[in-house]
Amino acid sequence: MSGEEEENAAELKIGEEFLKAKCLMNCEVAIILEHKYEQLQHMSDGGADQVSQVFEKSQGYVKRFSRYKNPDAVRQVRETLSRYGLHEFELCTLGNLCPDTADEARALVPSLVPGGRFKGDEKIDKMLNDLSLIKKFE
Amino acid sequence: MFFHIILERNMQLHPRHFGPHLRDKLVAKLMKDVEGTCSGRHGFVVAITGVEDVGKGLIREGTGFVTFPVKYQCVVFRPFKGEILEAVVTMVNKMGFFAEAGPVQIFVSNHLIPDDMEFQSGDVPNYTTSDGSVKIQKESEVRLKIIGTRVDATEIFCIGTIKDDYLGIISDPGAAS
Repeated sequence: MSGEEEENAAELKIGEEFLKAKCLMNCEVAIILEHKYEQLQHMSDGGADQVSQVFEKSQGYVKRFSRYKNPDAVRQVRETLSRYGLHEFELCTLGNLCPDTADEARALVPSLVPGGRFKGDEKIDKMLNDLSLIKKFE
Repeated sequence: MFFHIILERNMQLHPRHFGPHLRDKLVAKLMKDVEGTCSGRHGFVVAITGVEDVGKGLIREGTGFVTFPVKYQCVVFRPFKGEILEAVVTMVNKMGFFAEAGPVQIFVSNHLIPDDMEFQSGDVPNYTTSDGSVKIQKESEVRLKIIGTRVDATEIFCIGTIKDDYLGIISDPGAAS
C-alpha cells in the first residue's frame, strides 16, 4: 500500500485511482467479455485459443454470478440505482448481491449507514423493490 | 470488484514493425504483454477494451527501439479488504476452505467459519451444521467478506470470513442432486 491509509471497502477507502475509475457489476463484465471473446474468435489466427487464464476464470465467474442476463435489464439496473445517489462501489455491490431486506443491504454495504443518506428503511426498501421489479420483468 | 480503468504503459517496439500498421502492431503487443497479468496495485488485468491514446515515440539510443507511451482502457479485477462478494468453493480441508472469485483465490480459515459448523472428512470433505441443514463442500457457492489481502508483485491472495450476518452458503450442490 506504499504508506497509504489502509484500504477498507466498507468505508469506501479503495484508493484514489479506483474511486475515480468506473466500477462494473458482474453482469456488465459478462457482456464486455462475451463481446471481446466473439471478436477474438473472428480473428484470423485463432485468437480465441490464446485467451489468458485470468480471462477464462473471470468469464466463468461472471457468467455464474450474474443476476441479470439481458443487456437492457443490466442497463436499467444501473440507471435505477444511480438515481439514489450511491457511490459506484456501493451501486455495484448492491447490483451483484441483490439483498432482499434493508437490514441485509446495510450489512453488505456498511457505507450506506453514515452520512444520513439512507435514514430509515423506507428509501432502501424502495430501492430494493425497484431492483426486484427489474429482475421480475427481465 | 471489477473496474473499468485507464492505465498507461511505455511500449517498446522494434523498428521492423514501423509502417502503415504500426498502431495495430502496438495494440497487439500491448494485449499480449498486459492481459492476464496481475499487479498488486491494479489487480488482475482481465481484458483491454480500447486504446485511448498513443503518444509520440522516442528512439532509444543504441538499439533503435522506439518507446511509445500508450494509454488504454481495461477491465481489471481488484479485491479489496472489507469487500463482500460471492465465490465458488474449490477445496475443503480441516484447516478451512479455499474459494475462487474469478482469478483470485480466497482462503477461509476454520476460525472464520461459524462455530456450529463442524468439519466432516470423507469422500467429499465438508463443513456441516449439527442439524445437517447447511453444508459447505466443493462447488458450493458462498458469500464471503474479504478481511485481508496479501499482495505480491505478481499475485494477490485473500483471506475471507463467513462468520458474520448475511454471509455463508448461497447454493448447495448436494441439495440439488
